Amino acid sequence: MTAVRQALWILLVALVPAFLASAFHPKRPAWSEDVLQPGEERLGTVQSWGDSVLWVDARSRKEFDTEHVPNAVLLNLEEWDQLFPAFLDRWQPNQKVVVYCSSLACHMSEEVADRLRRNSVEPVYVLKGGWEAWKSKR
Amino acid sequence: MACRVILGGLFLIAGVTKAYDPAGFATEIQNYHLVPWLGGVLLSLFLPWVEIFAGGALLLKRFEQGALLLISAMLIAYCAALISAMARGLNIDCGCFGRLISSTGIAWALVRNAGLMILTGILWIFGKASGQASSEK
Repeated sequence: MTAVRQALWILLVALVPAFLASAFHPKRPAWSEDVLQPGEERLGTVQSWGDSVLWVDARSRKEFDTEHVPNAVLLNLEEWDQLFPAFLDRWQPNQKVVVYCSSLACHMSEEVADRLRRNSVEPVYVLKGGWEAWKSKR
Repeated sequence: MACRVILGGLFLIAGVTKAYDPAGFATEIQNYHLVPWLGGVLLSLFLPWVEIFAGGALLLKRFEQGALLLISAMLIAYCAALISAMARGLNIDCGCFGRLISSTGIAWALVRNAGLMILTGILWIFGKASGQASSEK
């Protein structure tokens, strides 16, 4: 019984910082799933841009070889030095670039997008939901 | 002593890394497809602090039984989520340490959790034994 009472106290105390985090944490999650992070775009929006978009696949070569968005360019961090020149050959200045990786939980697309921006490639967007989003709405 | 430091320390670190980026942790939870987005958000805000306080309590030997109870419950829940993800063929990071520390795959996370469950069991048994010994004195 002591264990349960102590556990309840710990849970109660944990509620305080959790509540504060929900109100003030700079990285607090959005209450709605539909809220976009900065630099992120939904598939519907990207599709409305038409064929002018250059898709960048930030996943591994193995995943890319299995299946990818049509006409996508493979560009991941592991093979950046080899793949970036090929990307530059395909990219036209000011052409919109949309980076995707596996899913919502994958961070590679954000990292690749950041590195592209640091290399003066603009505008760059990250596909919300990544490859999973593409596959489910195809 | 070593079991308590390892278990408490790991939960403390895991809690801090998740509390640092609750938005990232909410996304990790969402990837398991087990709870709706709002449930994931609430968990991402609350769970890291439960881990921090439970881990801290274990390290400081305060509310030890309560902390062990919560850690056991969390480990069981995490194992169930990992097994469920594995059974559904989800290729996801475990999200055990948020986004601050590179996550591991599901199989390795299960092995680690099994190890932590053994440590928890040892602490339960020795905690009860020492409790009985002190009550007999």
